[in-house]
Amino acid sequence: MKTNRRQYILCGFALLALVLGISAHSWAQDVTYDEILHSAEHPQDWLTYGGNYASQRFSELKQVNTENVKDLKIQWVYQLKHQGIFESSPIVVDGIMYVTEPPTTVTALDVRTGKPIWRWSAPLPRNLLTIGLFPTNRGVAILGDTVYVATIDAHLVALDAKTGAVKWTSEIGKNSESVAITQAPLAIDGKIIVGMGGGEGGLRGYIDAYDAKDGHRLWRLYTIPTTGEPGVETWEGDSYKYGGATTWNTGSYDPETNTLFWGTGNPAPDWNGDARKGDNLYSCSLLAIDADTGKMKWYFQFSPHETHDWDAAEPPILLDAKIDGKMRKLVVQANRNAFYYVLDRETGKFIAGMAYAKETWAKGLDANGRPIELPNNQPTTKGNLIYPSITGSVNWTSSSYSPLTGLVYVDTREQGAYYFKGHPEMEPNNPRDIGGGGGQKVVGGDKAYSAVRALDATTGERKWQFKMVGDTWTGTLVTAGNLVFCADAGGNFFALNAETGEPLWHIQLGNSVRANPITYEVDGKQYVEAAAGNSVFVFSLP
Amino acid sequence: MNAHHRFLWIILFALALLAWTSPVSAQIGPAAPPPHSPHPTPTPQSLAEGKDLFEGTCAGCHGIDGSGANGPDIRGVGKVLGPEGIYGVIYGGGAMGSGMPAFSSLGEDKIWLLVNYVSSFGQTGGGAVTGDPAKGKEVYEANGCSNCHMIGSQGGDSGPDLSDIGAIRSTGFLHDALLDPGANLPQSDASLQERAAYPSYTMYRVVLKDGKVIEGMRVDEDSFSIQLRDAKGQIHSIDKLDASKIEVLPDKSFMPSYKDKLTETQLNDLVAYLAGLGAAR
Repeated sequence: MKTNRRQYILCGFALLALVLGISAHSWAQDVTYDEILHSAEHPQDWLTYGGNYASQRFSELKQVNTENVKDLKIQWVYQLKHQGIFESSPIVVDGIMYVTEPPTTVTALDVRTGKPIWRWSAPLPRNLLTIGLFPTNRGVAILGDTVYVATIDAHLVALDAKTGAVKWTSEIGKNSESVAITQAPLAIDGKIIVGMGGGEGGLRGYIDAYDAKDGHRLWRLYTIPTTGEPGVETWEGDSYKYGGATTWNTGSYDPETNTLFWGTGNPAPDWNGDARKGDNLYSCSLLAIDADTGKMKWYFQFSPHETHDWDAAEPPILLDAKIDGKMRKLVVQANRNAFYYVLDRETGKFIAGMAYAKETWAKGLDANGRPIELPNNQPTTKGNLIYPSITGSVNWTSSSYSPLTGLVYVDTREQGAYYFKGHPEMEPNNPRDIGGGGGQKVVGGDKAYSAVRALDATTGERKWQFKMVGDTWTGTLVTAGNLVFCADAGGNFFALNAETGEPLWHIQLGNSVRANPITYEVDGKQYVEAAAGNSVFVFSLP
Repeated sequence: MNAHHRFLWIILFALALLAWTSPVSAQIGPAAPPPHSPHPTPTPQSLAEGKDLFEGTCAGCHGIDGSGANGPDIRGVGKVLGPEGIYGVIYGGGAMGSGMPAFSSLGEDKIWLLVNYVSSFGQTGGGAVTGDPAKGKEVYEANGCSNCHMIGSQGGDSGPDLSDIGAIRSTGFLHDALLDPGANLPQSDASLQERAAYPSYTMYRVVLKDGKVIEGMRVDEDSFSIQLRDAKGQIHSIDKLDASKIEVLPDKSFMPSYKDKLTETQLNDLVAYLAGLGAAR
């Protein structure tokens, strides 16, 4: 009886605390679609992979600004329990940070202290296949009280946001056939959108939508047409059956037109296109997809018949801006092939584009945005020096866009490579035949460098650059405090003036930052997060 | 507790530890290859077949010449891992997290083709060893090489450690490096995560804003700072924002050329000595 009475009293206090809202650090963990839709009104949280559905990685927070950024200090460090290649961009909701550890572990951290609340690890097969990619994970999605993660062995798993308990699991693809997933899923209204990777394993790419409540598949869009469908003629013979064009990075969403924008990867085999003559639709393309039906609205192919592994997987940025005095709905992408593209978001029509990094494969873009290719730009048996290298002028890391400056900030790589051509055959459904038809030899060391480049969003014209030593894999974050955050390969995390590129602050973290940084606010204080080496670092003003 | 009981407890603890750790290591370690045919001697034909197989299967990650791309540089694994060691990695895959899948399905004949081809990387352009290693050791000692280079734990550390140099450099490379040390500088040690390897032992000249000039060998560098070691061994840490000019002195090295200092015989003897350093482990 005594115990029961004590329990009642405790319950009473708990209820009172809830009603009065005096439990300052309680965790509601219930994110509505409307909140993600209006993420600019919730800058204290980081609700979706790209910061907002437009993938702008722009934060309205400005407590940390050009005047005081020099005073940023480390507040806490979380060291991973699972070492490996760490490329996670966290989600922050109402006091909890959800970060993913390689290969697929989700860890919920108390954002005030960095202490783990729960941790869930995907059960993985011993003979896990990760062909052409590192076994890592770049983040989760959240909707309602559920955290969604795509596992390296190609399952979509729904976890209770408060406990990490598994709600359901859906198989996206067969890992035994080389399907592997590293991307963060995208949560929209009632649906979880997720693509897949593993295109070097001889498969046909697709993108899926799943019901957020029970995980059943709502639609699947294959990124390569099949017999009888338009576009199949752009693949020689039956090469369309195993031509790759995967959807391995997170895309963007325009709620106004209910359209998803998703980039596709290279056609396979990579470096030898002899057995897949033609443009190889819809590889190396941006797809506009009806979010309800999964039907393709339009496509834009950046690199037709691609032979350098220049995927178009970079998260596309949606923005509205004036072109010739008229407001236009745009989708822009700094592509791995070294060109920056501005497209009409509603029609897919090319508006503008130019090279933003050194390239030696095309003279420029024609009126439709198709590259005007130079002779001798193909891999050869003896090796052909071409810029950019296979890792491209950018890779999976995100660019950012500030509506305040009108600039897109690209963590750019300046590097060439000798491209070699090998055998072209790829056996259908044989994940061991992963050669890619050749290889490369990178021109690295002091002959390569990286730079944060600020490009005019509507033209791609460079406004400034900040040069860096080495080969960076960070991505950029831009804030209303007029700051761009990025990192170099040598382990320096730094802030630049978003208007001028002037370096304002840097700190040595002891290893490279291989993840897109984010920012959020707790108890009225702005924090900036960077994942370096095998640790999460969080900074704020003193 | 007497000694006998203590011993029993240690045994029990060890068994418990083994029982606890075994499933974990079973999950993360690559599978050991089952019994297989002995290492076949490479022939020109088998090396050509191995090359074709490598370019179709491995070059995408390890680079066409094994110098690395998404995967690591594997030139030099021949002597470091030995044929059986390489066989094991190809058969069972790399460590968890490395991204290298198991290629057991290739079958042992094809795996051996790859083993032999991969083992040939460090040796290309080498040519036969013609000198006398014992005499080469004397040349090494008489010319003060150990002032700057270390073998085992003996020697200085301002130049590259030569303990395993025979495993990672061909005889041709060693020969050329003695004649023109600055022409082909070794890469810095960079992890896969850092992806920031650059030539080591590069000579720099930095002019500071106050007019002071510092010349030295680059020890490290990032976007904001550079660390140099001058001819006296003094380390200088320089904030790049304090420098008005930072320039590379191309093809320069602290190490002198031995072109006119050694006879051809002495040179070949020295190469023979160095080529023998760093046997299979």
